[in-house]
Amino acid sequence: MSKITKIPIGPFHIGLEEPIYFKIDIEGESVKNVDMINGFVHRGIEYLAMQKNFFQNLILTERVCSLCSNNHPFTYVMAVEKIANIKPTKRALYLRVVADEVKRVASHMFNLSMLAHLVGFHTLMTQTMEAREIVQDIKESIWGNRMDMSANTLTGVKYDVDKEQIDYILKRLKELEPQVDEIMDVYFNNKIVKARTKGVGVLPYEDALRLGVTGPTARGSGVMNDVRIKAPYAAYDELKPKIIIEKDGDVYSRTKVRWREVKDSIRLIRLALKNLPQGKVVLQKRPHIPAGEAVSRSEAPRGELIYYLKTNGLQKPERMRWRVPTYMNWESLRVMIPGNKLTDVAVIFNSIDPCISCTER
Amino acid sequence: MKETLKRKIIAEIKERLDKDKYDIKDELDLYGNIQIWLKLYDRKDILHIAQIVKDFGGRCVIISAYKKDDHHVLVYHLDIDGILLNVEVELFDNTVDSITPILKSADWTEREFKEMFGIKLLNHPNPKRLFLDESIAEGILGEYMPLSQAMNGAATCSMWEKIESERHKDEQNN
Repeated sequence: MSKITKIPIGPFHIGLEEPIYFKIDIEGESVKNVDMINGFVHRGIEYLAMQKNFFQNLILTERVCSLCSNNHPFTYVMAVEKIANIKPTKRALYLRVVADEVKRVASHMFNLSMLAHLVGFHTLMTQTMEAREIVQDIKESIWGNRMDMSANTLTGVKYDVDKEQIDYILKRLKELEPQVDEIMDVYFNNKIVKARTKGVGVLPYEDALRLGVTGPTARGSGVMNDVRIKAPYAAYDELKPKIIIEKDGDVYSRTKVRWREVKDSIRLIRLALKNLPQGKVVLQKRPHIPAGEAVSRSEAPRGELIYYLKTNGLQKPERMRWRVPTYMNWESLRVMIPGNKLTDVAVIFNSIDPCISCTER
Repeated sequence: MKETLKRKIIAEIKERLDKDKYDIKDELDLYGNIQIWLKLYDRKDILHIAQIVKDFGGRCVIISAYKKDDHHVLVYHLDIDGILLNVEVELFDNTVDSITPILKSADWTEREFKEMFGIKLLNHPNPKRLFLDESIAEGILGEYMPLSQAMNGAATCSMWEKIESERHKDEQNN
Protein backbone atom coordinates (compact mmCIF):
# COMPACT_ATOMS: atom_id res chain seq x y z
CA MET A 1 0.00 0.00 0.00
CA SER A 2 1.40 3.37 -0.93
CA LYS A 3 1.77 5.99 1.74
CA ILE A 4 0.05 9.35 1.68
CA THR A 5 2.50 12.21 2.10
CA LYS A 6 1.43 15.62 3.32
CA ILE A 7 3.02 18.62 1.65
CA PRO A 8 2.48 22.14 2.98
CA ILE A 9 2.79 24.99 0.49
CA GLY A 10 2.66 28.55 1.76
CA PRO A 11 1.54 30.80 3.25
CA PHE A 12 4.67 32.47 1.90
CA HIS A 13 6.23 30.52 -0.90
CA ILE A 14 8.21 31.33 -4.00
CA GLY A 15 5.60 29.62 -6.18
CA LEU A 16 2.76 31.71 -4.79
CA GLU A 17 2.05 35.28 -5.74
CA GLU A 18 -0.01 35.97 -2.63
CA PRO A 19 -0.23 34.38 0.83
CA ILE A 20 -2.34 31.24 1.07
CA TYR A 21 -1.64 28.02 2.92
CA PHE A 22 -2.22 24.76 1.05
CA LYS A 23 -2.08 21.37 2.72
CA ILE A 24 -1.76 18.81 -0.02
CA ASP A 25 -2.02 15.04 0.48
CA ILE A 26 -0.23 13.15 -2.26
CA GLU A 27 -0.05 9.48 -3.07
CA GLY A 28 2.78 8.73 -5.45
CA GLU A 29 2.64 11.67 -7.86
CA SER A 30 -1.02 12.48 -7.75
CA VAL A 31 -2.91 14.73 -5.37
CA LYS A 32 -5.47 12.95 -3.20
CA ASN A 33 -6.85 15.84 -1.21
CA VAL A 34 -6.27 19.52 -0.74
CA ASP A 35 -7.03 21.79 2.19
CA MET A 36 -6.70 25.55 2.08
CA ILE A 37 -6.32 28.02 4.91
CA ASN A 38 -7.03 31.69 4.29
CA GLY A 39 -6.90 34.87 6.26
CA PHE A 40 -3.30 36.03 6.00
CA VAL A 41 -4.16 39.33 4.35
CA HIS A 42 -7.47 40.15 5.99
CA ARG A 43 -7.17 43.89 6.61
CA GLY A 44 -10.68 44.97 7.61
CA ILE A 45 -11.13 47.30 4.62
CA GLU A 46 -14.93 46.97 4.87
CA TYR A 47 -14.81 48.47 8.33
CA LEU A 48 -12.50 51.21 7.09
CA ALA A 49 -14.91 52.04 4.25
CA MET A 50 -17.60 52.87 6.81
CA GLN A 51 -15.30 55.48 8.40
CA LYS A 52 -14.75 57.35 5.11
CA ASN A 53 -17.02 59.68 3.18
CA PHE A 54 -18.34 58.93 -0.30
CA PHE A 55 -15.46 60.66 -2.08
CA GLN A 56 -12.75 59.15 0.10
CA ASN A 57 -14.21 55.74 -0.65
CA LEU A 58 -13.47 56.25 -4.35
CA ILE A 59 -9.79 56.25 -3.45
CA LEU A 60 -10.11 53.40 -0.96
CA THR A 61 -12.10 51.02 -3.18
CA GLU A 62 -9.61 51.45 -6.03
CA ARG A 63 -6.97 50.06 -3.71
CA VAL A 64 -8.77 46.86 -2.72
CA CYS A 65 -7.26 45.04 -5.69
CA SER A 66 -4.59 45.94 -8.21
CA LEU A 67 -5.42 44.09 -11.43
CA CYS A 68 -9.15 44.78 -11.27
CA SER A 69 -8.71 48.11 -9.47
CA ASN A 70 -10.92 49.98 -11.94
CA ASN A 71 -13.93 47.74 -11.33
CA HIS A 72 -14.17 48.53 -7.63
CA PRO A 73 -14.81 52.29 -7.88
CA PHE A 74 -16.83 51.58 -11.06
CA THR A 75 -19.27 49.30 -9.22
CA TYR A 76 -19.22 51.45 -6.09
CA VAL A 77 -20.22 54.62 -7.98
CA MET A 78 -23.04 52.72 -9.68
CA ALA A 79 -24.44 51.85 -6.23
CA VAL A 80 -24.14 55.46 -5.04
CA GLU A 81 -25.73 56.78 -8.24
CA LYS A 82 -28.60 54.36 -7.85
CA ILE A 83 -29.36 55.66 -4.36
CA ALA A 84 -29.05 59.27 -5.56
CA ASN A 85 -31.05 58.37 -8.70
CA ILE A 86 -28.57 60.01 -11.06
CA LYS A 87 -27.69 58.47 -14.39
CA PRO A 88 -24.44 59.82 -15.84
CA THR A 89 -24.29 61.11 -19.41
CA LYS A 90 -23.84 58.63 -22.25
CA ARG A 91 -20.36 59.98 -22.87
CA ALA A 92 -19.37 59.18 -19.30
CA LEU A 93 -20.83 55.67 -19.57
CA TYR A 94 -18.90 55.00 -22.78
CA LEU A 95 -15.71 56.29 -21.22
CA ARG A 96 -16.26 54.00 -18.24
CA VAL A 97 -16.43 51.06 -20.64
CA VAL A 98 -13.23 52.14 -22.41
CA ALA A 99 -11.33 52.29 -19.11
CA ASP A 100 -12.75 48.98 -17.96
CA GLU A 101 -11.99 47.07 -21.15
CA VAL A 102 -8.43 48.40 -21.28
CA LYS A 103 -8.04 47.10 -17.75
CA ARG A 104 -9.52 43.73 -18.74
CA VAL A 105 -7.02 43.28 -21.58
CA ALA A 106 -4.12 44.08 -19.25
CA SER A 107 -5.42 41.78 -16.51
CA HIS A 108 -6.07 38.80 -18.77
CA MET A 109 -2.73 39.11 -20.51
CA PHE A 110 -0.95 39.22 -17.18
CA ASN A 111 -2.67 36.02 -16.05
CA LEU A 112 -1.95 34.32 -19.38
CA SER A 113 1.70 35.23 -19.27
CA MET A 114 1.85 33.74 -15.77
CA LEU A 115 0.46 30.53 -17.24
CA ALA A 116 3.29 30.47 -19.78
CA HIS A 117 5.74 31.02 -16.92
CA LEU A 118 4.27 28.15 -14.90
CA VAL A 119 4.41 25.68 -17.76
CA GLY A 120 8.06 26.63 -18.24
CA PHE A 121 7.65 28.39 -21.59
CA HIS A 122 9.54 31.55 -20.72
CA THR A 123 9.92 33.04 -24.18
CA LEU A 124 6.13 32.95 -24.50
CA MET A 125 5.80 34.64 -21.14
CA THR A 126 8.09 37.50 -22.10
CA GLN A 127 6.38 37.83 -25.48
CA THR A 128 2.96 38.11 -23.79
CA MET A 129 4.26 40.62 -21.27
CA GLU A 130 5.87 42.64 -24.03
CA ALA A 131 2.59 42.83 -25.93
CA ARG A 132 0.80 43.74 -22.68
CA GLU A 133 3.20 46.65 -22.34
CA ILE A 134 1.27 48.37 -25.15
CA VAL A 135 -1.82 48.36 -22.94
CA GLN A 136 0.23 49.64 -20.03
CA ASP A 137 1.46 52.48 -22.28
CA ILE A 138 -2.13 53.35 -23.14
CA LYS A 139 -3.02 53.45 -19.44
CA GLU A 140 -0.05 55.62 -18.61
CA SER A 141 -0.66 58.03 -21.48
CA ILE A 142 -4.41 58.48 -21.02
CA TRP A 143 -4.92 58.05 -17.27
CA GLY A 144 -1.40 58.90 -16.08
CA ASN A 145 -0.85 55.68 -14.18
CA ARG A 146 0.00 52.09 -15.04
CA MET A 147 -2.22 50.45 -12.41
CA ASP A 148 -4.78 52.62 -10.60
CA MET A 149 -6.41 54.66 -13.33
CA SER A 150 -8.75 56.70 -11.13
CA ALA A 151 -11.16 56.93 -14.06
CA ASN A 152 -14.46 56.95 -12.16
CA THR A 153 -16.04 59.56 -9.96
CA LEU A 154 -19.55 60.09 -8.58
CA THR A 155 -21.93 60.94 -11.45
CA GLY A 156 -19.33 60.51 -14.19
CA VAL A 157 -15.69 60.06 -15.03
CA LYS A 158 -12.60 62.05 -14.13
CA TYR A 159 -11.08 62.05 -17.62
CA ASP A 160 -12.04 63.00 -21.14
CA VAL A 161 -10.44 62.10 -24.46
CA ASP A 162 -9.87 64.43 -27.41
CA LYS A 163 -9.35 63.40 -31.02
CA GLU A 164 -5.61 63.15 -30.64
CA GLN A 165 -5.94 60.80 -27.67
CA ILE A 166 -8.53 58.64 -29.46
CA ASP A 167 -6.17 58.36 -32.45
CA TYR A 168 -3.36 57.39 -30.10
CA ILE A 169 -5.41 54.58 -28.49
CA LEU A 170 -6.53 53.28 -31.90
CA LYS A 171 -2.97 53.39 -33.22
CA ARG A 172 -1.67 51.37 -30.28
CA LEU A 173 -4.52 48.86 -30.55
CA LYS A 174 -3.60 48.37 -34.19
CA GLU A 175 -0.11 47.48 -33.00
CA LEU A 176 -1.46 45.18 -30.31
CA GLU A 177 -3.96 43.13 -32.28
CA PRO A 178 -1.59 41.30 -34.68
CA GLN A 179 0.65 40.49 -31.72
CA VAL A 180 -2.33 39.10 -29.80
CA ASP A 181 -3.29 36.96 -32.81
CA GLU A 182 0.22 35.58 -33.07
CA ILE A 183 0.57 34.80 -29.35
CA MET A 184 -2.96 33.38 -29.13
CA ASP A 185 -2.09 30.88 -31.81
CA VAL A 186 0.80 29.61 -29.68
CA TYR A 187 -1.41 29.24 -26.57
CA PHE A 188 -4.08 27.44 -28.58
CA ASN A 189 -1.88 25.10 -30.63
CA ASN A 190 1.57 24.74 -29.12
CA LYS A 191 2.36 21.20 -27.97
CA ILE A 192 3.95 22.16 -24.64
CA VAL A 193 1.10 24.47 -23.63
CA LYS A 194 -1.52 21.93 -24.65
CA ALA A 195 0.24 19.08 -22.87
CA ARG A 196 0.26 21.04 -19.61
CA THR A 197 -3.26 22.49 -19.83
CA LYS A 198 -5.56 20.10 -21.70
CA GLY A 199 -7.54 17.83 -19.41
CA VAL A 200 -5.83 19.41 -16.38
CA GLY A 201 -7.83 20.85 -13.47
CA VAL A 202 -11.25 19.97 -14.81
CA LEU A 203 -14.27 21.71 -13.30
CA PRO A 204 -17.40 19.96 -14.60
CA TYR A 205 -20.46 22.01 -15.57
CA GLU A 206 -22.56 20.71 -12.65
CA ASP A 207 -19.90 21.66 -10.09
CA ALA A 208 -19.51 25.10 -11.64
CA LEU A 209 -23.25 25.66 -11.25
CA ARG A 210 -23.37 24.25 -7.73
CA LEU A 211 -20.45 26.35 -6.46
CA GLY A 212 -21.72 29.53 -8.12
CA VAL A 213 -18.37 30.29 -9.76
CA THR A 214 -18.08 33.39 -11.93
CA GLY A 215 -16.05 34.90 -14.75
CA PRO A 216 -13.78 32.96 -17.09
CA THR A 217 -13.70 30.12 -14.53
CA ALA A 218 -17.46 29.61 -15.04
CA ARG A 219 -17.41 30.27 -18.78
CA GLY A 220 -14.61 27.73 -19.25
CA SER A 221 -17.04 25.15 -17.82
CA GLY A 222 -19.95 26.20 -19.99
CA VAL A 223 -21.74 28.40 -17.43
CA MET A 224 -22.67 31.75 -18.97
CA ASN A 225 -23.01 34.36 -16.26
CA ASP A 226 -21.23 37.35 -17.78
CA VAL A 227 -22.85 40.31 -15.98
CA ARG A 228 -22.25 42.51 -19.04
CA ILE A 229 -24.74 40.30 -20.90
CA LYS A 230 -27.02 38.97 -18.14
CA ALA A 231 -27.60 42.33 -16.43
CA PRO A 232 -26.08 45.02 -18.68
CA TYR A 233 -24.81 48.23 -17.09
CA ALA A 234 -23.04 51.40 -18.31
CA ALA A 235 -23.00 51.21 -22.13
CA TYR A 236 -22.88 47.42 -22.48
CA ASP A 237 -26.52 47.16 -23.59
CA GLU A 238 -25.57 49.15 -26.70
CA LEU A 239 -22.07 47.77 -27.24
CA LYS A 240 -23.11 44.13 -26.84
CA PRO A 241 -20.14 42.02 -25.74
CA LYS A 242 -19.87 38.60 -27.40
CA ILE A 243 -20.91 35.46 -25.56
CA ILE A 244 -17.66 33.57 -25.02
CA ILE A 245 -17.97 30.07 -23.70
CA GLU A 246 -15.99 26.80 -23.65
CA LYS A 247 -17.32 23.44 -22.53
CA ASP A 248 -14.40 21.29 -21.35
CA GLY A 249 -13.80 22.99 -17.99
CA ASP A 250 -10.03 22.45 -18.00
CA VAL A 251 -7.16 24.95 -17.76
CA TYR A 252 -6.99 24.99 -21.56
CA SER A 253 -10.66 26.07 -21.81
CA ARG A 254 -10.18 28.87 -19.32
CA THR A 255 -7.11 30.00 -21.26
CA LYS A 256 -9.11 30.05 -24.47
CA VAL A 257 -11.92 32.04 -22.86
CA ARG A 258 -9.45 34.66 -21.62
CA TRP A 259 -7.76 35.07 -25.00
CA ARG A 260 -11.03 35.37 -26.84
CA GLU A 261 -12.15 37.96 -24.29
CA VAL A 262 -8.96 39.94 -24.92
CA LYS A 263 -9.90 40.02 -28.62
CA ASP A 264 -13.47 41.03 -27.83
CA SER A 265 -12.32 43.75 -25.43
CA ILE A 266 -10.17 45.26 -28.18
CA ARG A 267 -13.25 45.27 -30.41
CA LEU A 268 -15.34 46.90 -27.63
CA ILE A 269 -12.77 49.66 -27.02
CA ARG A 270 -12.72 50.48 -30.73
CA LEU A 271 -16.51 50.44 -30.95
CA ALA A 272 -16.91 52.62 -27.85
CA LEU A 273 -14.41 55.17 -29.16
CA LYS A 274 -15.99 55.18 -32.61
CA ASN A 275 -19.51 55.75 -31.24
CA LEU A 276 -18.44 58.03 -28.39
CA PRO A 277 -21.40 60.40 -27.77
CA GLN A 278 -20.91 64.11 -27.09
CA GLY A 279 -21.68 65.63 -23.72
CA LYS A 280 -20.38 66.36 -20.26
CA VAL A 281 -18.24 63.79 -18.50
CA VAL A 282 -19.46 64.59 -15.00
CA LEU A 283 -22.90 65.81 -13.93
CA GLN A 284 -22.59 67.06 -10.36
CA LYS A 285 -19.51 67.96 -8.40
CA ARG A 286 -21.06 67.24 -5.00
CA PRO A 287 -24.19 65.12 -5.39
CA HIS A 288 -26.57 64.73 -2.46
CA ILE A 289 -26.73 61.11 -1.30
CA PRO A 290 -30.05 60.44 0.45
CA ALA A 291 -30.85 57.51 2.73
CA GLY A 292 -31.41 54.25 0.90
CA GLU A 293 -29.91 50.97 -0.12
CA ALA A 294 -28.69 49.65 -3.45
CA VAL A 295 -26.93 46.71 -5.02
CA SER A 296 -24.81 47.01 -8.15
CA ARG A 297 -22.86 44.46 -10.15
CA SER A 298 -20.21 44.51 -12.81
CA GLU A 299 -18.06 42.03 -14.69
CA ALA A 300 -14.49 42.39 -13.45
CA PRO A 301 -11.72 40.56 -15.37
CA ARG A 302 -12.04 37.64 -12.93
CA GLY A 303 -15.84 37.58 -12.86
CA GLU A 304 -18.81 39.10 -11.14
CA LEU A 305 -18.17 41.90 -8.64
CA ILE A 306 -21.05 43.02 -6.42
CA TYR A 307 -21.43 46.02 -4.10
CA TYR A 308 -24.11 46.46 -1.47
CA LEU A 309 -24.46 49.97 -0.09
CA LYS A 310 -26.72 51.26 2.65
CA THR A 311 -26.84 54.95 3.45
CA ASN A 312 -28.63 57.01 6.12
CA GLY A 313 -28.44 60.50 4.62
CA LEU A 314 -25.07 61.30 6.20
CA GLN A 315 -21.74 61.69 4.38
CA LYS A 316 -20.53 58.14 5.13
CA PRO A 317 -21.99 54.76 4.23
CA GLU A 318 -23.94 53.05 7.00
CA ARG A 319 -22.88 49.71 5.58
CA MET A 320 -20.84 48.82 2.55
CA ARG A 321 -20.12 45.28 1.52
CA TRP A 322 -18.59 43.86 -1.60
CA ARG A 323 -17.72 40.46 -2.97
CA VAL A 324 -14.99 39.81 -5.45
CA PRO A 325 -15.02 36.99 -8.04
CA THR A 326 -12.19 34.98 -6.47
CA TYR A 327 -14.32 34.61 -3.31
CA MET A 328 -16.62 32.30 -5.28
CA ASN A 329 -14.00 30.66 -7.49
CA TRP A 330 -11.84 29.58 -4.56
CA GLU A 331 -13.90 26.54 -3.52
CA SER A 332 -13.72 25.19 -7.08
CA LEU A 333 -10.02 24.41 -6.46
CA ARG A 334 -11.15 21.55 -4.20
CA VAL A 335 -12.80 20.04 -7.26
CA MET A 336 -10.08 20.92 -9.77
CA ILE A 337 -6.91 19.90 -7.92
CA PRO A 338 -7.47 16.30 -6.63
CA GLY A 339 -6.49 13.65 -9.15
CA ASN A 340 -3.87 15.83 -10.82
CA LYS A 341 -0.09 15.71 -10.55
CA LEU A 342 1.61 17.80 -7.89
CA THR A 343 3.42 19.78 -10.60
CA ASP A 344 0.07 20.88 -12.00
CA VAL A 345 -1.15 22.45 -8.76
CA ALA A 346 0.40 25.85 -9.50
CA VAL A 347 -0.97 25.81 -13.08
CA ILE A 348 -4.49 25.00 -11.83
CA PHE A 349 -4.25 27.57 -9.05
CA ASN A 350 -3.29 30.24 -11.59
CA SER A 351 -6.13 29.25 -13.91
CA ILE A 352 -8.82 30.73 -11.62
CA ASP A 353 -6.80 33.98 -11.75
CA PRO A 354 -6.73 34.20 -7.95
CA CYS A 355 -6.65 37.47 -6.10
CA ILE A 356 -6.31 36.87 -2.40
CA SER A 357 -5.89 40.44 -1.19
CA CYS A 358 -9.29 41.46 -2.51
CA THR A 359 -10.96 38.21 -1.44
CA GLU A 360 -10.00 38.72 2.18
CA ARG A 361 -10.19 42.52 2.14
CA MET B 1 -38.39 37.12 -21.14
CA LYS B 2 -36.92 38.56 -17.94
CA GLU B 3 -40.36 39.96 -17.10
CA THR B 4 -41.91 36.47 -17.36
CA LEU B 5 -39.19 34.99 -15.16
CA LYS B 6 -39.74 37.76 -12.60
CA ARG B 7 -43.47 36.99 -12.50
CA LYS B 8 -42.76 33.27 -12.08
CA ILE B 9 -40.37 33.93 -9.17
CA ILE B 10 -42.82 36.23 -7.40
CA ALA B 11 -45.68 33.76 -7.91
CA GLU B 12 -43.56 30.98 -6.43
CA ILE B 13 -42.67 33.11 -3.39
CA LYS B 14 -46.34 33.96 -2.83
CA GLU B 15 -47.26 30.30 -3.12
CA ARG B 16 -44.74 29.03 -0.58
CA LEU B 17 -44.85 31.75 2.11
CA ASP B 18 -47.67 32.81 4.40
CA LYS B 19 -49.32 36.00 3.23
CA ASP B 20 -48.64 38.20 6.25
CA LYS B 21 -45.06 37.12 6.77
CA TYR B 22 -43.30 39.09 4.05
CA ASP B 23 -43.21 42.31 2.00
CA ILE B 24 -42.19 42.17 -1.63
CA LYS B 25 -41.43 44.83 -4.23
CA ASP B 26 -39.58 44.84 -7.51
CA GLU B 27 -37.73 47.63 -9.23
CA LEU B 28 -35.75 48.46 -12.34
CA ASP B 29 -32.29 49.91 -11.89
CA LEU B 30 -31.03 52.83 -14.00
CA TYR B 31 -30.07 50.43 -16.78
CA GLY B 32 -33.36 48.50 -16.86
CA ASN B 33 -32.27 45.41 -14.89
CA ILE B 34 -34.81 43.78 -12.58
CA GLN B 35 -34.18 43.53 -8.84
CA ILE B 36 -36.62 42.04 -6.36
CA TRP B 37 -36.56 43.18 -2.72
CA LEU B 38 -38.12 40.85 -0.18
CA LYS B 39 -38.42 41.41 3.55
CA LEU B 40 -39.09 38.32 5.68
CA TYR B 41 -40.69 38.57 9.11
CA ASP B 42 -39.93 34.97 10.03
CA ARG B 43 -36.23 34.13 9.78
CA LYS B 44 -36.98 30.45 9.14
CA ASP B 45 -38.57 31.33 5.80
CA ILE B 46 -35.11 31.91 4.32
CA LEU B 47 -34.92 28.13 3.86
CA HIS B 48 -38.00 28.25 1.60
CA ILE B 49 -36.47 31.11 -0.39
CA ALA B 50 -33.19 29.21 -0.79
CA GLN B 51 -35.14 26.21 -2.08
CA ILE B 52 -37.00 28.39 -4.59
CA VAL B 53 -33.69 29.83 -5.84
CA LYS B 54 -32.27 26.33 -6.15
CA ASP B 55 -35.34 25.13 -8.07
CA PHE B 56 -34.87 28.00 -10.53
CA GLY B 57 -31.18 27.05 -10.95
CA GLY B 58 -29.97 30.18 -9.15
CA ARG B 59 -27.11 30.82 -6.76
CA CYS B 60 -26.18 32.79 -3.68
CA VAL B 61 -24.09 35.80 -4.67
CA ILE B 62 -23.32 37.16 -1.21
CA ILE B 63 -24.92 37.88 2.17
CA SER B 64 -24.43 41.29 3.78
CA ALA B 65 -24.75 41.61 7.54
CA TYR B 66 -25.05 44.80 9.54
CA LYS B 67 -26.02 45.92 13.02
CA LYS B 68 -29.30 47.75 13.54
CA ASP B 69 -29.93 49.05 17.07
CA ASP B 70 -29.52 45.96 19.29
CA HIS B 71 -29.76 43.20 16.68
CA HIS B 72 -28.30 42.09 13.37
CA VAL B 73 -29.83 42.26 9.93
CA LEU B 74 -28.87 39.99 7.04
CA VAL B 75 -29.43 40.86 3.40
CA TYR B 76 -29.17 37.83 1.10
CA HIS B 77 -28.32 38.65 -2.50
CA LEU B 78 -29.45 35.75 -4.68
CA ASP B 79 -29.19 35.54 -8.45
CA ILE B 80 -31.60 33.79 -10.80
CA ASP B 81 -30.42 34.13 -14.40
CA GLY B 82 -29.47 37.79 -14.06
CA ILE B 83 -32.38 38.79 -11.81
CA LEU B 84 -31.16 39.80 -8.37
CA LEU B 85 -33.30 38.77 -5.41
CA ASN B 86 -32.42 40.73 -2.24
CA VAL B 87 -33.88 39.19 0.91
CA GLU B 88 -33.77 41.08 4.20
CA VAL B 89 -34.06 39.14 7.45
CA GLU B 90 -33.88 40.66 10.94
CA LEU B 91 -32.34 38.39 13.56
CA PHE B 92 -33.84 39.21 16.95
CA ASP B 93 -32.35 36.09 18.57
CA ASN B 94 -28.99 36.44 16.78
CA THR B 95 -29.47 33.03 15.18
CA VAL B 96 -30.09 31.95 11.60
CA ASP B 97 -30.49 28.66 9.74
CA SER B 98 -27.74 27.90 7.27
CA ILE B 99 -28.78 27.77 3.61
CA THR B 100 -25.51 26.07 2.58
CA PRO B 101 -27.08 22.57 2.59
CA ILE B 102 -29.42 23.90 -0.12
CA LEU B 103 -27.17 26.41 -1.90
CA LYS B 104 -23.53 25.42 -1.69
CA SER B 105 -22.54 28.86 -2.99
CA ALA B 106 -23.47 30.36 0.41
CA ASP B 107 -20.74 28.41 2.24
CA TRP B 108 -18.06 31.09 2.59
CA THR B 109 -20.28 34.08 3.12
CA GLU B 110 -22.18 32.37 5.98
CA ARG B 111 -18.93 31.49 7.69
CA GLU B 112 -17.77 35.06 7.22
CA PHE B 113 -20.75 36.72 8.96
CA LYS B 114 -20.53 34.08 11.68
CA GLU B 115 -16.97 35.04 12.55
CA MET B 116 -17.18 38.76 11.86
CA PHE B 117 -20.50 39.49 13.59
CA GLY B 118 -20.83 36.53 15.96
CA ILE B 119 -24.18 35.44 14.49
CA LYS B 120 -25.14 31.88 15.46
CA LEU B 121 -25.42 29.60 12.46
CA LEU B 122 -27.53 26.44 12.62
CA ASN B 123 -26.77 23.29 10.58
CA HIS B 124 -23.85 24.58 8.55
CA PRO B 125 -22.05 21.53 7.09
CA ASN B 126 -18.58 23.04 7.50
CA PRO B 127 -18.62 25.67 10.27
CA LYS B 128 -14.84 26.11 10.32
CA ARG B 129 -13.29 29.57 10.54
CA LEU B 130 -12.93 31.29 7.18
CA PHE B 131 -10.46 34.16 7.56
CA LEU B 132 -9.84 34.62 11.27
CA ASP B 133 -7.79 32.35 13.47
CA GLU B 134 -9.56 30.24 16.13
CA SER B 135 -7.84 32.28 18.84
CA ILE B 136 -9.73 35.43 17.79
CA ALA B 137 -13.21 35.81 19.27
CA GLU B 138 -16.27 35.84 17.01
CA GLY B 139 -17.96 39.16 16.37
CA ILE B 140 -14.63 40.87 15.94
CA LEU B 141 -15.85 43.49 13.46
CA GLY B 142 -17.20 45.57 16.33
CA GLU B 143 -13.89 45.61 18.21
CA TYR B 144 -10.47 47.18 17.84
CA MET B 145 -7.94 44.65 16.57
CA PRO B 146 -4.21 45.24 15.97
CA LEU B 147 -3.14 44.47 12.40
CA SER B 148 -0.49 41.89 13.35
CA GLN B 149 -3.09 39.85 15.23
CA ALA B 150 -5.69 40.16 12.47
CA MET B 151 -3.13 38.94 9.94
CA ASN B 152 -2.77 35.70 11.85
CA GLY B 153 0.63 36.75 13.11
CA ALA B 154 1.99 36.99 9.57
CA ALA B 155 3.86 40.17 10.48
CA THR B 156 5.67 38.54 13.41
CA CYS B 157 7.42 35.24 14.13
CA SER B 158 4.40 33.77 15.97
CA MET B 159 2.91 32.26 12.81
CA TRP B 160 6.11 30.39 11.97
CA GLU B 161 6.31 29.02 15.48
CA LYS B 162 2.75 27.76 15.15
CA ILE B 163 3.40 26.09 11.78
CA GLU B 164 6.56 24.50 13.13
CA SER B 165 4.72 23.02 16.11
CA GLU B 166 1.86 21.72 13.92
CA ARG B 167 4.26 20.15 11.42
CA HIS B 168 5.48 17.72 14.05
CA LYS B 169 1.89 16.95 15.00
CA ASP B 170 1.21 15.89 11.40
CA GLU B 171 4.23 13.58 11.38
CA GLN B 172 3.09 11.90 14.57
CA ASN B 173 -0.33 11.21 13.06
CA ASN B 174 1.23 9.40 10.13
